[in-house]
Amino acid sequence: MPSVCFYFEVHQPYRLKPYGALQVGRDHAYFDEKLNAEVLRKVANKCYLPANESMLRLIERTEGRFRISYAVTGVAIEQMKRYAPEVLDSFVRLAKTGAVEFVAETYYHSLAALYDKEEYREQIDLEMKLIKSEFGQTPRVFRNTELIYNDEIGQFISDLGFEAMLIEGADDILDWRSPNFVYRVADRETRLLAKNYKLSDDIAFRFSNQAWGEYPLTADKFAGWVHGHSGAGDVINLFMDYETFGEHQWRETGIFEFLEHLPDLLFTHPHWDILTPSQVIDRYPALGELSFHRTVSWADEARDISAWRGNAMQQRALTEIYALGSAIKRRNNSHLLALWRRLQTSDHFYYMATKSASDAEVHDYFSPYEGPYDAFIHYMNVMKDLNLSVLAPAEKRIRL
Amino acid sequence: MKILMLGWEYPPHISGGLGTACEGLTTSLASRGIEIDFLVPKLYGEENAPHMQLLGAASGRPMDRAPIEERDPLAELIAAEPALATDPIFTAAAEAAQSQAAQPAEPGVQVLRVPAMLKPYLDQATYRELVTSGALQESAVAEIAAAQILHPLPEPPQGVTRLEHVHIPGDDLPFAEEASGEAHYGHDLFSEVARYAMSATRRVHGQKYDLVHAHDWMTFPAGIEIARRAGAPLLVHVHSLEYDRAGHGADRDIVAVEHQGLENAARVIAVSYYTRGLINRVHNAPLDKISVVHNGVYARETVEAYTEQRQSTGPVVLFLGRVTFQKGPEYFVQAAARVLEHVPDAVFIMAGSGDMLPRMKALAEDLGITESFRFPGFLRGAEVERAFSTADVYVMPSVSEPFGIAPLEAMSHDRPVIVSKQSGVSEILRNALKVDFWDVDKIASQIVALLELPELRRVIVERAREEVRNIHWDAAAEKLIPIYESVLGS
Repeated sequence: MPSVCFYFEVHQPYRLKPYGALQVGRDHAYFDEKLNAEVLRKVANKCYLPANESMLRLIERTEGRFRISYAVTGVAIEQMKRYAPEVLDSFVRLAKTGAVEFVAETYYHSLAALYDKEEYREQIDLEMKLIKSEFGQTPRVFRNTELIYNDEIGQFISDLGFEAMLIEGADDILDWRSPNFVYRVADRETRLLAKNYKLSDDIAFRFSNQAWGEYPLTADKFAGWVHGHSGAGDVINLFMDYETFGEHQWRETGIFEFLEHLPDLLFTHPHWDILTPSQVIDRYPALGELSFHRTVSWADEARDISAWRGNAMQQRALTEIYALGSAIKRRNNSHLLALWRRLQTSDHFYYMATKSASDAEVHDYFSPYEGPYDAFIHYMNVMKDLNLSVLAPAEKRIRL
Repeated sequence: MKILMLGWEYPPHISGGLGTACEGLTTSLASRGIEIDFLVPKLYGEENAPHMQLLGAASGRPMDRAPIEERDPLAELIAAEPALATDPIFTAAAEAAQSQAAQPAEPGVQVLRVPAMLKPYLDQATYRELVTSGALQESAVAEIAAAQILHPLPEPPQGVTRLEHVHIPGDDLPFAEEASGEAHYGHDLFSEVARYAMSATRRVHGQKYDLVHAHDWMTFPAGIEIARRAGAPLLVHVHSLEYDRAGHGADRDIVAVEHQGLENAARVIAVSYYTRGLINRVHNAPLDKISVVHNGVYARETVEAYTEQRQSTGPVVLFLGRVTFQKGPEYFVQAAARVLEHVPDAVFIMAGSGDMLPRMKALAEDLGITESFRFPGFLRGAEVERAFSTADVYVMPSVSEPFGIAPLEAMSHDRPVIVSKQSGVSEILRNALKVDFWDVDKIASQIVALLELPELRRVIVERAREEVRNIHWDAAAEKLIPIYESVLGS
């Protein structure tokens, strides 16, 4: 009996304000509160609120046979509390249905996995505590920032006790294997659920693309594609940004109608059902081990980490923020620690990417700045002020 | 499709970007099967335009392809009336004509004898003033140098001195004499333009064209008249407006000529969206009548790196251009003062001449930053190359720049650039930092960032090198041809 597994990513970064070199030493408020509030409220109205309402209705209508999973980052929850608490309330209502699973990730949606494993572990702990306190769940499944994964990360997460991880179903990794089965982390028992990027991206990226041969995509057609995998797989993993509903794909494209009709159409085939990630690993055995010869993510055409550290600017910014770790932690100041961690959010580095063609369009779509150079300049000016105005004086005091 | 293009100059004898633009555009148009007759006020004999028929309105001597038999009216007269050959009045006229014909042998000087060349960048009052004071030579060289940056002269034939290497001392220029002679050029800009209109109309009389394409206001009267007579649609191409050059001090007569051209045109081409907006605001021309075709550039093969030690030890920030209202030099000086608070050893070079130069020197003094400033004045040829090569950052804070080619030159020298958003070139550049010209803090911030962050410089420079290579005239021609077709179709 094959299954469909839905996973949605919910994240909003703290965007930096345009911070010029002349502000260094004078201005210690780094984040663009107005913009962050605006974006959160806009996305709440276009996506979070109406989509949560749809999900809740679908769960009730199907008596819990429609199931979904989310990762909601700590920084997104902080901003919901602050700018649109009704959004968090609606996630809590979803959590209470029993048909919604929350998976863990890093609280700050950071790249700590690649730079500072101790910091990585702390950010995962923070997120676990938050999910417990907000939604009353203890996650068994983990998804790393933007599905960034390699064997080392997989083994680290396995050793923390997670039972499964979500990954990108990259062709060169899967090779002859299908993404539609459960796999294992190399040398560990922790399961891997691979995104079916073809079917996921049909919804997330191509849904409203009129130049696409399959346009318009109806729920009927999509359910047909899923059913076409009968007998050739255990689980179709549909992983995407939650903002797909109403924000990346506007309401006018018919995305909500698509969502509304999809579960019933999936259920028209008697063999198929819909499970959460934990239910998937409880039902299906692992087919074998997956070993990664490179670091994979779900971003850009390359499906690697070049979206965050593909150029010299990104590498410099990342090296510098993580180099501050020990100095920050020595201060033992929770505000400073939170500030440092907000500066680790991967979006800051994503805005600095200098990609071409279609990748650049996606980066531009998300970036609040005029381009990668401004993103880097603002970030480095903030870092300079942080060093100069916050850290340096303290170091001096310590020496005295 | 056969078109007539009306220009004001053609390389190598050019005073600004207009001639270079015409060469690039016609080359790409011709390679796409457009047949072009290109008419300029005067030819010098060194032009090289195998892709089209180049005509001089005054000389009546076409270049290359399908050469038309050269006519010498004096010789014809003598042939008809042999007795005239001994007439003293006639002999004097023949001698004058001969010495005139001999002049093109001195290319460097030749350009300077032709004040008309400078007009794309001058208003009438300045023109008159320059003519009477004899001060024209410096800015003439300025424009020539600037124009040649992206379009180096072809290797000159043996024995001919290359233009940028010609030393041109002020007093041995026969300019004043030429101007007073009035043999070729009047004192008045408008009589010049009118003369061109008349001779151009005569020159192409009886020719058949599908459309007439006129570049900038100096050719508009000619374009209007020729298009009217030929019953062909007129397309006017705006490379710059009088407003760009003079702001609110615009010459009303020039504005009126621009207006007339725009009114009579079936379609208007602007070199940028910025210029399109300006045409709409200043002249009230409807936006749907104005199409944008961005300029291209000729990619340089390689730029020689200057390995010589720079004079100063601090990082160098460069302004290079005419020091006039249009170029926004005061914003550069003001930004410099703020940069110096953060990067005390930075050196600022303001290269160029112009009416605002004395005020800029005074401003630097008022701000107490004279020590950090260099005013080398006008740079020519190799000096321009060296300036780009030794700068760490190039800034173009123009108040109003229809296109602006110098940033592309800086980019091809692997220099990071900061350009004002009030420039046409900013519309097509991805790998430049963009600022509002009046936002002095932002200009200063961006300069500091470029000086302090080597990774920023490295990424910008690498990508800009690639980008400038792809800004090509073929793209302009491909945009223009459908516009021609739509004008002819309607």
